[in-house]
Amino acid sequence: MRMAFDPTILVQYWPLFLQGAWLTIQVSVQAFLLGYTLGIAVALLGLMPGRLPRLAATSYVEVLRAIPFIIILFVIYYGLPFSGLRLPAPLVGTVALGLFASAYYAEIVRAGILALPRGQFESARAIGMSPLQAMRHIVGPQVARAIVPPSTNMTLTMIKESAVLSSITVPELTYQGLVVQGNTFAPFEVFAAVTLIYWGITIAVAGAARRLERRLGVAQARGVSRNRLAASYLLLERERAR
Amino acid sequence: MSIPALKVSGLTKRFRGVTALDSVYLDVARGEVVTLIGPSGCGKSTLLRCLTWLEEPDDGFIEVGGRPFGRTIVGQVVHRQTRREIDALRPKIGLVFQNLNLWPHLSALENVARGPVVVLGRKRAAVEAQARALLARLGLERQMDKHPHELSGGQRQRVAIARTLAMEPELILFDEPTSALDPELVGEVLGLLREIAATGMTMLVVTHEIGFAGGVADRIAFMDQGRIVETGPARAVLDNPTDPRLRAFLGRVLPSSLGVTA
Amino acid sequence: MSFQFAYLAGLMPNLAVAALVNLRLSAMIIVLALIGGTALTILRSLKIRPVNALIAFLISFIRGTPLLIQIFLFYYVLPAIGLDLSPTVAGVAAIALNSSIFISETMRGALITLDPGQIEAATALSLPRHLVWAKVILPQLFRRVLPVLVNEATIVVKGTALLSVITVVDVLRTAQQIASASYRPFETLIGAALVFLAINLTISLLGRRIEGRFAVQRA
Repeated sequence: MRMAFDPTILVQYWPLFLQGAWLTIQVSVQAFLLGYTLGIAVALLGLMPGRLPRLAATSYVEVLRAIPFIIILFVIYYGLPFSGLRLPAPLVGTVALGLFASAYYAEIVRAGILALPRGQFESARAIGMSPLQAMRHIVGPQVARAIVPPSTNMTLTMIKESAVLSSITVPELTYQGLVVQGNTFAPFEVFAAVTLIYWGITIAVAGAARRLERRLGVAQARGVSRNRLAASYLLLERERAR
Repeated sequence: MSIPALKVSGLTKRFRGVTALDSVYLDVARGEVVTLIGPSGCGKSTLLRCLTWLEEPDDGFIEVGGRPFGRTIVGQVVHRQTRREIDALRPKIGLVFQNLNLWPHLSALENVARGPVVVLGRKRAAVEAQARALLARLGLERQMDKHPHELSGGQRQRVAIARTLAMEPELILFDEPTSALDPELVGEVLGLLREIAATGMTMLVVTHEIGFAGGVADRIAFMDQGRIVETGPARAVLDNPTDPRLRAFLGRVLPSSLGVTA
Repeated sequence: MSFQFAYLAGLMPNLAVAALVNLRLSAMIIVLALIGGTALTILRSLKIRPVNALIAFLISFIRGTPLLIQIFLFYYVLPAIGLDLSPTVAGVAAIALNSSIFISETMRGALITLDPGQIEAATALSLPRHLVWAKVILPQLFRRVLPVLVNEATIVVKGTALLSVITVVDVLRTAQQIASASYRPFETLIGAALVFLAINLTISLLGRRIEGRFAVQRA
């Protein structure tokens, strides 16, 4: 049993780790963009009047949140060829990850919109702003500030979940780690490196998010609606998504 | 006969079977200060909300300075105005909400300046200068760049009033201006309302401060169950209420505030 | 090839049986995580500097890295330094550790919301520390974190699906095995998805019912 830590392995294989990390980041960014766009659409759908839109949105969210991401991924990856489409693994992985994340983003956006007191919109309309102006100047900025912290939380979760893409041979960081480990039989060194890289990515993203929060003045926006906003925010923080 | 600042005819509003406003008639002359009093649930707030079309009345007409607002009648046909037409008249009807609804992500100055820039299309530089002057007149010289959560209740109240004044309204509606304040500040706000009244602004104030009603208002209107039951010169109504419901109401409310003139 | 509902229906009994593995493992993990999380919370409250520093390090690590990687660490790396665990044990340990950390963090957040007066009263009555925890703090804490715990349970259940990657024969691995024999991956995977849907929706609904009952009890 080898006990010695052999860093030369890492030196030899660092290009692979770097490639893997880079793909992890790319996939995450694309999945985030897809997921958030979808999430906003679903959130708005759920806020429309009538029972059907709300039912559709709720079902979408509940189903995607109850099923493990790996199964969502497999269903799309292994199921798609049967309808004629044969797409490359990274694309399927990105779409699946975005789909998965969209369910959580939808809830975050919805909660952010509902947390804003109706009076904010009304006072804007009462001085003559059009609904669009009210959205742009008063509602939008406040909702944006409210959704940044829970969105950060979910995005970090999504980045970590991207490791699962290794199971459909997407050559991201975890996959590269398994490849190197298969070549070198040095699990300790390999996973130490992979772990540290993931850790570094999440710390960097969390730090960037904090800076963004400060610039947006997240603390200031919580003046009037404090109780309702805090309540929903806390609920979302508690709902640790994976 | 001069055109009234506000003319309300037969305004009716029903909520799921409950009649909140029951054919309300009210005229407010230019420069007049009318106080609206009544027991809770009588429809005072609903009336104010209908007057800015935040609620759409089921029946009735509103005229602001002679211009129809929300609904017009041509001959026998009633037309609902377009959203644009309604929004165009809204700045003329100022509304100061009971809970103020200041915008927390904007500074006090920006709360006041945003409306004229976005809605009235004025140039920013001029608007900001006017906003500063307005806030200074209200005693907020050093609070202009602060955000609402950094301000005291009384200061927030003044920012809310400034925001409405900045839109150059023809009349201002006040929904319970003193209810959210500590008792010591009530006098301050009432004084402020007196000052605004003194500038000749037309005001319709919903309040439970009977002292204000007696001291500053020209007229008092008493509402009960969605109807304006009695209206008349302030002192007359308070000293000699005719309607028994008004008498009962004043009997309940007055002993503590009798003689208190703001 | 079109989707065959009949085939899917025929699969469900097999998948349901395989799902028992997930349920059994989830139950073990949740119990371990509750014990671990509570122990961690009590340990952190002792405010021993080096211990808390180590725990903070661990928390950052667990929260900053993927669960799959943590599972791989238990499965691939531990044998390399002498600790050879079966796939099931390694997987359960990894998920339990992960869950303990999150539960501890949640409890820490809830701890702040407790009324300090009660704890002061208990200490003033010379109640020994372990009784203060057992009789005063923990009961209230659990009532407060219950909704989060229910959510954590669904996360644990979903986590057990990952164990199929390290050869544990759970419902996902079973579905994959069936699929490779029958060449109908879509139906089998949808079947596995439905199983998890059923389990997690049931947990959420049960959770809401229990929450309601606890809320009524609270004075």
